[in-house]
Amino acid sequence: MLYTNEKLVLLAGFTVRLLLSIGFSGLQSSLDNSVEFSTPFTSFKSLQEGIFLLNNGFPLYSGGVVHQSPLLVYFIAFFNSNLAISVLYALIDSIIAYQLLAISKCFRNFQSKSTWYIALLYLFNPLVLLSNISRSSILFSNVAISTALLYSLKGNYLITGVSIAISGYLSLYPLLLVIPLLGILRSNTSRINLLSTVVVTLAILLAVSFNTSGNNWDFIKLNYIALLNFEKLSPNLGLWWYFFIEMFDVFIPFYHSVFNLFVVSFVTPFTIRFYKQPLYAFILSIGWITLTKPYPTLGDCGFFLGFIPFFSPIFGYMKYSAFTTLLFLHAMVLSPIFYHLWVDLGSANSNFFYAISLVYALAIASLIVDLIWAMLRMEYDKGKPDFKSKLTQL
Amino acid sequence: MRLFSLRLKLETLLAVLLILVISSATGTQEENIVSRDEGSEVGRSESSGLDVESLSRDESLSLSSVTSAETESLTSEKSITSEEPVVSTPSIHWDESIGVNEDVSYQFDEKLTLRPLPNNFLQSSFMFEMNSTEFTPGVSSIDFDKYSHYTVFPKVFNSILHTTSARKLQIRFTRGFWDAESWGRLPHDGFKAGGSGVELWAVIEADSKEDAYLKWKKLANLLGGIFCASLNFIDSSKTTFPHTSIADDFELPLFDSNKQLFLLRAALANEPVCTENLTPFVKLLPTKGKSGISTLLDGHKVFDSYWHSLSIDISTRCDATSNICYDHMEANVDVVLHVPSTLSRNEMSIPKPVSGDNLRCDETKFYDAFHCFPKSESTETSYLISKIYGRQLKGSNLISNHPSRVCADVSEDWNILIELNGEYFATDNNCFDLTNNAKNDIYFESSNTTSISKSDDVPVFVSRSLISYGNDRGGLRTVFRNPTNKDVRVKYLEALPWFMRVFLSTMKLETGDEAVEKEELRRLLSSMHYLPAIDRKRPTNLEYDITIPAFSTYVVSYQFEKTLLEFAEYPPDANHGFEVESAVITVVEPVNYQIRTSTLLLVLSTPDFSMPYNVIILSSTVMGLIFGTLFNLLVKRLLTIEEADRIKATSGPKYKLRKLKEKLLSKFAPRKKD
Repeated sequence: MLYTNEKLVLLAGFTVRLLLSIGFSGLQSSLDNSVEFSTPFTSFKSLQEGIFLLNNGFPLYSGGVVHQSPLLVYFIAFFNSNLAISVLYALIDSIIAYQLLAISKCFRNFQSKSTWYIALLYLFNPLVLLSNISRSSILFSNVAISTALLYSLKGNYLITGVSIAISGYLSLYPLLLVIPLLGILRSNTSRINLLSTVVVTLAILLAVSFNTSGNNWDFIKLNYIALLNFEKLSPNLGLWWYFFIEMFDVFIPFYHSVFNLFVVSFVTPFTIRFYKQPLYAFILSIGWITLTKPYPTLGDCGFFLGFIPFFSPIFGYMKYSAFTTLLFLHAMVLSPIFYHLWVDLGSANSNFFYAISLVYALAIASLIVDLIWAMLRMEYDKGKPDFKSKLTQL
Repeated sequence: MRLFSLRLKLETLLAVLLILVISSATGTQEENIVSRDEGSEVGRSESSGLDVESLSRDESLSLSSVTSAETESLTSEKSITSEEPVVSTPSIHWDESIGVNEDVSYQFDEKLTLRPLPNNFLQSSFMFEMNSTEFTPGVSSIDFDKYSHYTVFPKVFNSILHTTSARKLQIRFTRGFWDAESWGRLPHDGFKAGGSGVELWAVIEADSKEDAYLKWKKLANLLGGIFCASLNFIDSSKTTFPHTSIADDFELPLFDSNKQLFLLRAALANEPVCTENLTPFVKLLPTKGKSGISTLLDGHKVFDSYWHSLSIDISTRCDATSNICYDHMEANVDVVLHVPSTLSRNEMSIPKPVSGDNLRCDETKFYDAFHCFPKSESTETSYLISKIYGRQLKGSNLISNHPSRVCADVSEDWNILIELNGEYFATDNNCFDLTNNAKNDIYFESSNTTSISKSDDVPVFVSRSLISYGNDRGGLRTVFRNPTNKDVRVKYLEALPWFMRVFLSTMKLETGDEAVEKEELRRLLSSMHYLPAIDRKRPTNLEYDITIPAFSTYVVSYQFEKTLLEFAEYPPDANHGFEVESAVITVVEPVNYQIRTSTLLLVLSTPDFSMPYNVIILSSTVMGLIFGTLFNLLVKRLLTIEEADRIKATSGPKYKLRKLKEKLLSKFAPRKKD
């Protein structure tokens, strides 16, 4: 059950979103046009374009504009009023916040007291809030991820499998989170059940999409292959874009595989190394995907940061919290400025924004490294914090 | 002063009459010969062609003595003679043989129309038409023991049409600005002009779209070779398959009924058009610029103009019943020159400032040695066409059954005379048929150049512009203005490069009335044919119908996003921007008319081109740093510093190295001690 102040936080988050989205109608489009909150694969503009094409009888995936899953387009097309969509987005974010609270209730550390601050830190994190106002479609993927996590902690492999498959269907890379989820589910039968649920759900989703988009597999090419091959060279905060703009033609396929391997590389190691703390392995995997995915937005980062309060018992071990915070601030403040200088004013060049994307990557990386260090320390100290002794690795 | 000399006309009339007589006498015999002996066609036609040519020349010579006398007697009846039925009909009837032996007079026709425009501009329209010899599709000429015979039709196009199965072909080389507001309609109602740059349309017979595209690619490459144009840059990312067809008054033939006809279009926006395109163009004409009106086509003058357009239209036309076909070609050159500046170029090839005494100052305003408000250009003018084009008209084309024709389309305030051997002649309808082989010149004279011949109203003005602030996105705004009192229905056709990601959902129609806007937008969308772009493979193809009511302005706008390109895909002058080809607007009601918008310059943001190695190094460093740190964290053992020091002191490479050093030292040390 929720405490009153937790309910209040959820309600406040919902209301603020609704008010912002209705009261400042221009905010949505300007955020949707900003490079930090929108990518060709998550922007609401391309979702709207999909709905438009759908309503006017044009094929959805015959061109290279719509990179949204067909079922998502159908789903949003169902809400044909602006208000309904605002409510939907505000509601989904509140659901995520609620699920974070529910997840915290699964743990001894958080069970006894009110954890309203977890919901507060998620709902009123400016990154999450603005991403929500921009109506980035990453939200749907995020809610599926948090649902999967919650139900895996409860041991419900069915809902876990269905929701992680949905989030993979929406944006592909979350499929990797199946691996830490397998770590969360403790019995082998439920693991096999989870895997088969994911496969069956994915097959059903793809089959239905195939059917609804006019018996055509084009959506696979535009939603997933284009993602893997980084086909839209649009600037974003990730590591990929400038690299592939500047890369020599012949090496591009090679580096596509290198970058994709990079995304996959640490998910399994995290799960194995932190087998005893599977929730944390899951959260670290989210962070890793946020860091390495081809089209990241600040919405992804906000979602990852929403899980950080779960690490509160080990905050004392963190070595670079000030450094990480400063890196984040640096990236947040300078990225819109440098992008504006490059693209709008032309008084700076692309290297400015590229530098910021490196800083942003370092910020997330240093956070992940710090969390891992803290967890290793906790493991070493066997759950009894000892901030005095100095440790090293060998 | 107006001279009414009918000498020229009479000459042609008499020559034609004489040919009529000759051919009527020999015509039946010739037909017999043709049916009996088809193999000897070539030789015979050449010899008989020479015969008639020499005959007609003899005629004109012998007639010249008569004409002067006859002219005087006929001057009183000028109104009758100026309406010469045979010569002055401008329309061409190929099938209607006027009695000349078809083997000798080739199906070629040429006409030059000169039309003064407001503000001392002069529009010259050169028109050439020619037909190939007849052929039967699917039947090789070799089978019938026939020679492949090319007369006036360019041989090169025969083979191109054959290898690419093109049934219709339109090439346009256009540059410059057509000032529709003051000059009125485009020549040929806009159907012979392209957008700024090069434009290519073709109807190709093929099995499938892919097959059509392969043939199209071949066609573009061949034409690029012929016209020294960069048509080889036409690839799938520039080619569209438009739905609106090119206006046709006849049906195109399908040689193989299993195949289909495909219409393809591509344009290279702002491709420079210059002498190297004109020279091969002129070479395609049977007169090769040596005689007839094509003698005026000098690159220096054609391209020193405000607006110019070279066009070639080729189509295969068949008789459905007899299954006999021929290729028809029409070549047009339209030029708009500014007369005063062209004339002054003759006097001063290098422009110099006008000297103080020659300045034309507005005397109603204050002026002295330092102040001068310029006066508008003089409305009196007189010039010879040879001063404009730098050359004289060198006689007739000598090859066709029609003489070369020069017409001036002027108002009452103009005197148009033809100059021949120092004498000036005029005609009533300001048209001159050149039949001789001498140098002709056309003299223009007017006391009021503001008065020009009335042209029809322009049915619609269309302008398209980019609206954007940043380099990452923008909008496209098209304004349709109907200045006439009739509703105008237009078809809009637009191809946009793939790096403009169009969001059609943002499309807006502004009319000033919201209720109308919704309804009109709905109608526009229902008529729309839209094919979104595929990166590097296909341009956006957007077509819609829109009806603009009388005296109203409609604005259609939508948003797009710009993508970045790979650094090697940028041209060397990346910051110049990318040309976006013009939109084609075809008016279908109340008149047939075609206009194109101006091209657009789309500026994309660029990466730093000096950075490839730096980016690879920096990105890889960051990734390596992250990977290495995480790997160490996950793999290494955690222990206190003291423990670590202890272990390091008893194992590890450093320890081993020290041991080794000690060992070595211990071996050498004892000797030293000794």
